[in-house]
Amino acid sequence: MHIAVILIESIIIGGLVGFAAGVGAARMFNAPTVQALGAFRTLGEMNAAQGDPASHFSFGLGFFFNAWASTVGAGAFTQDVTHRVIPNWAAAGLLMKNKNLAETMHNPKKMGIASAAIGIVVVSFLNVTSSSIPESLQVTAVKVLVPAATILINTVMPIIFWLAAIDAGRRSGLFGTVFGGLAALIMGNAVPGVVLGILIGKGVEEIGWTRITKIMLAAVILLFVLSGFFRGFDIQMLKEFGVNAPQWLKGLHTAIGG
Amino acid sequence: MEHDLKDLENAKSFWYADWAFPIIVGLMSAGVFAGTSMYYNYGVGAFNEVAIVAMLKAGMTGGSYGAAAAFGASFLFARILEGSLVGILDLGGSILTGVGIGIPAILLSMDITAPVKNFPLALLTGLIIGVIIGGIIYTVRHFTIGQSKATFGADVMMGAGNDTGRFLGPLIILSAVTASIPIGLGATAGAAAFYAWKKPIAGGAIIGAMVLGFFFPVKL
Repeated sequence: MHIAVILIESIIIGGLVGFAAGVGAARMFNAPTVQALGAFRTLGEMNAAQGDPASHFSFGLGFFFNAWASTVGAGAFTQDVTHRVIPNWAAAGLLMKNKNLAETMHNPKKMGIASAAIGIVVVSFLNVTSSSIPESLQVTAVKVLVPAATILINTVMPIIFWLAAIDAGRRSGLFGTVFGGLAALIMGNAVPGVVLGILIGKGVEEIGWTRITKIMLAAVILLFVLSGFFRGFDIQMLKEFGVNAPQWLKGLHTAIGG
Repeated sequence: MEHDLKDLENAKSFWYADWAFPIIVGLMSAGVFAGTSMYYNYGVGAFNEVAIVAMLKAGMTGGSYGAAAAFGASFLFARILEGSLVGILDLGGSILTGVGIGIPAILLSMDITAPVKNFPLALLTGLIIGVIIGGIIYTVRHFTIGQSKATFGADVMMGAGNDTGRFLGPLIILSAVTASIPIGLGATAGAAAFYAWKKPIAGGAIIGAMVLGFFFPVKL
């Protein structure tokens, strides 16, 4: 019964995600004139294997095994299912019949349909095979993966992004450092702040202080102010500086329910 | 001539038009959000890296949803901004992490469990969120398109994102050795085998740890 529900839900999910991943990936080959949904690494990798169905298939297969291990272990597909397995297998399937890239891999309609079919099969397979695994395996997975993930996300990722920001130039290093530190304080993780810092720093470096970069900076500052407010960071900060929060600020928090 | 025809087709057809973008993002989000719903109910099916799903798991097992919510939501924000400017919305950061992890974590932290627990409702919630995100990008794009050719450091972020993945393998082994001696040995052997076989060592470390963990179970 349990398995039947999982299978039905997997078919729906696989179809939706597969279709969107396929259309989005094919549209990448037409970006930036066409707004696409995908990832730069997907674009690069699909270009690298261009035209050869066997390369596309084996590339997807390698990540499929990895995704399978991760699903059995922790119930997590990895991002590779949508980034690598589905688009590459769909491309392999289409290229077997027709070697013309413009008519196959770059065609959103054909990629969408092929990816929907592959998505259904892949998602159902991963979910059904891994939902029937014993309890002891799940316990091991949690014991091993959760601590590793915590260190990765709280320490390793911020440092890698931070160093990348510093290496990318003075502006992104400066914005990355300021926003990274603030994000770590306010949001509990520095990565989003460093990412926003790179975004603004490189934007200013490439096109200068135009209307777009100014709006972006304003939006980022607004994001920090709002998330600080809703997490009660302002009150906490004043308290730790030994200042009493003014009555109107406390009143504002109670009024909004923060 | 051929170009003119293609441009005409691009402007009109669903497959190339900008107006179709919110629909595509909506369908993707519906599937990904429903995947998180499956993960919540059955422990399988989340469309993300183990490390990121683990943040949601921390909230589900009694801890705080704060990390998952802040991480996911901020990533979503950054990617929406970037996506409309560079022409490619990063699927991983925006939908898989933002919609799949961040938004469910925010809802769950506020004790709103229905959209995550109930499968049809999850599909609908995801669809609506996705259409809104796609709509925002469509709007931003129409105001900014053609005005800038900047990459906004997308290459820097992609590079850093890929580097992060490399750290997971060694981290899993380090974490496995603290679970128990058999699991630690299994993870080490598995990672070595995968390395020799030219596969990402994280996969081998997980499989090795799982196999030994099956024969020599540990308690949570």
